[in-house]
This record gives sequence, C-alpha cells and structure tokens, in this order.
Amino acid sequence: MAPISRRRLLAVGGGALGSAALAGCGTPVNLPESMEAVRARPGKPNRGGVLHFGLSTDPANLDPHVTTGAASDFLRQLTYNGLLQYDGNGEIVGDLAAEFGWTDTTTYKVRLHPGVRFHDGTRLTTEDVVFSFRRMMDKKTAATTGPLLDLVEKVEARGADTVVFRLKQPDTTIPFVLAGPTANIVSQRWIESGADPMTQVMGTGPFRFVERIPGVSTTFTRFDDYFDDGLPYLNAIVFQPMSDDYARVTALRTATVDMIDYVPATHVDVISENPRLRFASDRTFGFGFVGFVTSKPPFDDVRVRKAIALSINRPSVLETALLGHGQPIDGALMPDAFAGYPRKLDNTLPYDPEQARFLLKKAGREGMTLPVVTTSTYSVIARPAQAMLPGIRAAGVDVRLTQQEWLTFRASVTAKSFPAHSWGTAPKFGDPSSLGDFLSSTGTFAVNTGFKDQEIDRLLAEGRRTRDRSLRDEIYRDVEQRALELLPMTWTIRRQQGEAHYDYVKGYQHPPKGSWTGVTLRRIWMEKTA
Amino acid sequence: MRRFLLTRFAQALLQLFAVGSIVFLLVRLIPGDPARAALGDGATDEQVAQTREAMHLNEPFLEQYLGFWGRLLQGDLGTSLMSSRPVMQDLPTRLGNSLELVLISLVIALVLGVLLGRIAATRADRPADHALVAGSIFGISLPVFVIGTLLLMVFAFFIPVLPPQRFTTPWEDPVTHLKILILPVVTLTAASCAVITRMTRSAMLETLNTDYVRTARSKGLTERRVIKDHALRTALLPVASAATVELTTLIGSTVLVETIFGWPGVSSLLMSAVGQRDYPIVQAVVLSVAAIVILVNLVGDLVTRALDPRAEEA
Repeated sequence: MAPISRRRLLAVGGGALGSAALAGCGTPVNLPESMEAVRARPGKPNRGGVLHFGLSTDPANLDPHVTTGAASDFLRQLTYNGLLQYDGNGEIVGDLAAEFGWTDTTTYKVRLHPGVRFHDGTRLTTEDVVFSFRRMMDKKTAATTGPLLDLVEKVEARGADTVVFRLKQPDTTIPFVLAGPTANIVSQRWIESGADPMTQVMGTGPFRFVERIPGVSTTFTRFDDYFDDGLPYLNAIVFQPMSDDYARVTALRTATVDMIDYVPATHVDVISENPRLRFASDRTFGFGFVGFVTSKPPFDDVRVRKAIALSINRPSVLETALLGHGQPIDGALMPDAFAGYPRKLDNTLPYDPEQARFLLKKAGREGMTLPVVTTSTYSVIARPAQAMLPGIRAAGVDVRLTQQEWLTFRASVTAKSFPAHSWGTAPKFGDPSSLGDFLSSTGTFAVNTGFKDQEIDRLLAEGRRTRDRSLRDEIYRDVEQRALELLPMTWTIRRQQGEAHYDYVKGYQHPPKGSWTGVTLRRIWMEKTA
Repeated sequence: MRRFLLTRFAQALLQLFAVGSIVFLLVRLIPGDPARAALGDGATDEQVAQTREAMHLNEPFLEQYLGFWGRLLQGDLGTSLMSSRPVMQDLPTRLGNSLELVLISLVIALVLGVLLGRIAATRADRPADHALVAGSIFGISLPVFVIGTLLLMVFAFFIPVLPPQRFTTPWEDPVTHLKILILPVVTLTAASCAVITRMTRSAMLETLNTDYVRTARSKGLTERRVIKDHALRTALLPVASAATVELTTLIGSTVLVETIFGWPGVSSLLMSAVGQRDYPIVQAVVLSVAAIVILVNLVGDLVTRALDPRAEEA
C-alpha cells in the first residue's frame, strides 16, 4: 500500500469533517419575515405578528384526545375545537356549540355553529362529532376523556346541526368534560383516511399545523377560514420547548421568546417586578401531595398516615420550596373557587410534631425509617418534597428521600416500590367531582395508594348524579372530611402557577377556575411597534 | 500500514457493535415506559398496556435485538416511537448543528492553544508565562455550565451586545448565525484551549532542552527557525493526540451548552428522547456519536503515525 501523504490525509480528513458539518446544518421552520409585521387597527385588536412561545415540555404526542400535560394542551387548543370551552374567567361557554344545555336529567343537547370548516376545507358535520366521541369512548384510543364519559350511553346526531348525549344516569360533569382540552372534534374522513393523529394535525381551530421538529419547535399559522369572525389576530405561533426552568426564564428576559409557561416559583418575583413583563397565574389548580401505599405496612395503619400528615410543616414547605407563592392545604383539596365548603375544613391537619410522635408511638412505629420517592425532573414537585423533610424528622421519623427521573418515578409509584411518594398535579377540571381521580377506588392517582373505601365511592357517585348546588356541597364536604380521616394521601400545598409574557402581548387570560386549557391563546394579539 | 489499518478498522467495528449492544440493553433496563410517556399521567394501566402493544414493545427481547441490527445493517436507524418519523429525518440535521459547534470550537482551541503554549514556553518563568499558566488553570477549572451562564449574564443582561437570538442558519442570515455562534463557541473553547495551551507549553519546554535543538542552534539557525522547524513540530505530536481527546470532551460538553444557549443540536434530541424513552432515537444518537468518537480516534492514530513514522515500527 502506498504511504499516505500527511498533507493529503489532513486535507481529506478536514474536508470530510467540514462537509459533514455543512451538510448537516439544519434549522427549525423559519417563517417569512413579513409575517412578523403587525397591522394596527384603531379601536380593535391588531392583526398580524408571530408569537414565540417558550414551552416547558416537548409534547410526546399531538393526538387531539390524549393529553400529556398542560403544555401539550396549549398546542391542542390552537388547532382543534371542542364543543364547549372555558372563557378567560373559567366559565363554560360554547366553542363549536352555538347553543347547549340539559333537556332533561339524562339528555344533553348541543347545536353546532353553522359554516365550520376543517383545515382541509371540508365542512364539519354532526357525524364528525359523533365519530369523535366514539373514538374517545373506544378504549383502544386510550383517550384522556374516555373514563369521564363512562356514564354516556349514546351520542347521536339529530339533523344537520344537533348532537345529543344520552346518559345512563344523571351526570353533572358532562359540561366540564365537553369543555376539557382533550374532548376535541376531529374529521372522520381524515382519521379514516389513515392519518396518524399523533404526528399530524387537522382540526377546525384558529391555527393550522405547519411542522413539528422534536425538541426544537412546533409551528402553527393562521387559519383564514376560521368560523369565529376576526379570529385569530396573530399570523403564527411558534412553540419552542425549553424544559429547563432557567433556560426558559432567560429566553423570556432576553426577548428570545415573547411568552413562557410554567414560571418557576423561584422566578415569580423576578418576572413580577419587571415592568415590561406580565405574570398571569392562579392559586387554584396545582397542588402537591404525599401518597401512602395503604395496602402494606407501615401505612396500612391510619395512625401512621395521620402522623406523617401532621408532621408536614406546610407553611414552612411553602416558604422554603416556593418562596411563599401559593397556599398551604391543611384541609380540603378543592379551593373556594370550585365549591362552597372548603373553608369549613381549614386547619384539620395543622403542623403538630408532638401529636405525630404520640400517634407513631401508639402504632408501635416510633423512630421508624421512611423511604419516600419523588421526581427530580420537575422542580415544582422536587422542591416541596425536599422542604417537608425537616418537619417529618422533627416527629422522630428517619425519612429518606429518593429523587428519580420522571418515568422512573412513575414506574416506582405504579409498582408501589416505596411506601410513600411525593407528587404534584392538578384536578382535571374545576368541580369537586374531579376528586374521584384521587379518592375513588378506580381513580388514576388513587390506584397508586391501593386505597378503596366504599363510602367514598358511594358519595362520589352520588355527587356526580346530584344537580342541586347545596346538596352537592354537602356530599363533597363529606367526601373530603372522610379523606382527611382516612388519609390515603395528604395534600401539602397549593402552588401559584402561570404564564409570563411581554406587555405587548395582549388579550391573554389565565382562568382562575375551569381548567388549564390555555384556550385564551386563540384570542391574543400583539402591540409591537418595532 | 495496511495491517495497522485493518486491525484498527476491525477494532472500530467491534467497538461499535459493543456500544450498540450495550445501549440497546441499557435503554430497556431503565425503568419507565414509553407508552406511559405518550399517554401522560391520566392514563390507566390498561390503556398503557394497550399502547405498549401498539408500539410493539411486547415483542421478545431477542427478536427486538436482532431486528435492530438487521435494520441497522440496511441503513435503517428505525422510527421514533413518539413522532413516528424515521430517525434519519431528524438525526443528520441535529448532528450537523452539534458538529458545527464542536469543530469550530476545536479549530479555535487548537490554533489559539498552540499559539499561547508557544508564547508561554518561549517566555518561560516570565510574566507572560505566569499569566498564561494562571489563565489556563482558570479555564480548566471552570465547568462549562458556569462559563456559559456567566457569559450569558454578562453579554445578554448587563452589556447586552450578544442577546440570545432564535436559531438561524448561515444560509438564511450569515451575520445573525455568526452572532449566535459566538457565546456557545467561546464557552466550549475555553477549557479545550486551556488544555492545549498547557500541553503545548510543557511539550515545547521539554523539546527546547533536547540535544537536536541544541545542535540546530549551534548550526547557527535563527531562534525563530529552531522553534518553528524543530521544537514546535516535535511538540505538536502529543498535542495531536490531545486534540482527539478534546474533541470527544467537546462532544460531551455540547449537552450543557446546547441547553444553555438553545442550540438545536443532537443533545436536545437525545435529552427529549431519553425523557420519553424513545428507544430508537436514543440508540441512533448514541451510536452515531460513538461512531464519530471512534472515527476521530482512528484518524488521530493515523495522524500521529503520519507525523511520526517511527511509531509505525513500534
């Protein structure tokens, strides 16, 4: 073999590496610069502009019926519509529905807006609505809304513009379910043509999907034939996933993006004090809790569960973990905005390490070792878990916290590998019936504790059937009271959570009740002068 | 040389096979379910089980393993579990973006490091040498995320001459592209440049005291020629070896740099894939990065042999 000349070797090597680099230079979708222009309209919201949104999560899928959290719901709400939606105050209003309501205790009727079109130009029909709900109710879809439609016997089209939901028994949750971010209407023809709704998007919403580049961006542009006159005002929205809290806040502060979600508690003050920024938040949805595996020792003994619940110094956890941005929960899980009874249960579980010690002694668990698992992926969950340790130790418990990456944590919780887990989430919707997710024997979160109580199951079922407001308050108060006695899980703190944006972004509202749908993104506009 | 090439090539293939097998095994051993990631918190166990079936995650382990190598040999890196897109649709672009950062940083670190090392060695024990040694210790000691965050604070907040901007390709806007390159490249270059400076300095100091350098001087060559043609040339041998190590270090450092500066490289693809247990993407990214590292080491060995033919005899 002829010897390789050094210069040739270096030249070929360098050239190859250079070409590899150049060939690979790619980019997220770049919209034409003209789309950034904002057209002022006296007395009306401005038209035009592109909103760059720093999103806390890169959604795992774009399926209109399967949610992977509030961040993915933001995307979904721009391109799809449901029958109902929440307005900026969290009240239920029509979306595709022009009229809606109960005709009797087991029949809910919806009349559709005329002239609604999908992004491919086809007209929305009642058959699409029926097909969409059948898809949600089909277990193969694994739809988030599926289990909430368990009392629906039949969804049927009546004429060209009316859809009727027939229920097996009265169910007050139906309007909340229909307004949820995953009760979207899809095109039957589109789905049946073999489209993959996890990666492709086609709805009736104000924005149409352009492209998603995993980990980089998801781009939507204006749908000119949107049925709601004048909407949307923006030309486009570009979501850029920024899972790191600091990176997301820095991107906002340096105007790399116009808006972000999931403002971390540690940055709420920095953002609130900036006169150019606006923080839109609530203190009603997000909360933390400690779940106990009630089917195994030591938490098969309610005295031990109560001891841990009493040893959590909630005001201190709030201050330490979230710098005071939220509220301690020492009583009902539901906030005042959702029901009339919560205040009556305040101070049921005050910080009382002495009483906790006493209960542990009675249970024969004095000085016990307690492994607790939490996740390291989300600071909003990890920080409260860390902050509750001193209180529990003060009760004489040798608590040991293990932090795991999100899916590993989920696997540990499902397998009940640890006797207790510290988690954070939010109710599915703003009504006490959403307690079922945490307390009913089949609730998504309740199954992790192995908790089953026939009385709570009975009350939850009764609450769903009851329409009288004061009666419902009594029922759900009983549910919460019993949960505070049996303690399959103990609530810790309610967190302030919200989005931040520049003051030139107008019209965005973060509803104080209802659900985290981000639906008001459909109605925002820009007042940029530059 | 032929024997050497064949042996190294075979070793490289074996290394790739080992890396591929280990990654294949490890990603499946990590607790956490891609189906759970795709369905979110609200999914019941029954729904997760159905989705696992749809994602073909219940196939026997051996079948999955053989299928993985079978497809790979046909140039198919698989399809993302989450986006259902072929891995090859995203990987080259993202790898290219990362390589751009790494290669530019390495070239700057090499040029600057050799230059500074030479200055330090030829001014040994003088103020310039002390300053360069102190500077290089500083560069080596500071972690990449500290340098990146400091640069961002200074040049984005306090003196906003280089605010972070949206990623733009050189084809769209070369000036903006250059601007957004500066901070991540400086961050990546700092530590590597310091390592190369120290290595060049010590190698040159050693060479400057050898007999053949003294001979060259005694022949009446100018000091400039002695350093350029005799001392520096020999001193570059360990630097060339160090460069391959630095390149692999730089590839590792991009994970943090891409996160800090929002650079759409291969790291963000890997991070999001690990978070969602998107096995095909994790495997493809790790394998491609491993292939680059193995190739770089192979090239490094060849360069060393080309620069010092005596090594061939060893």
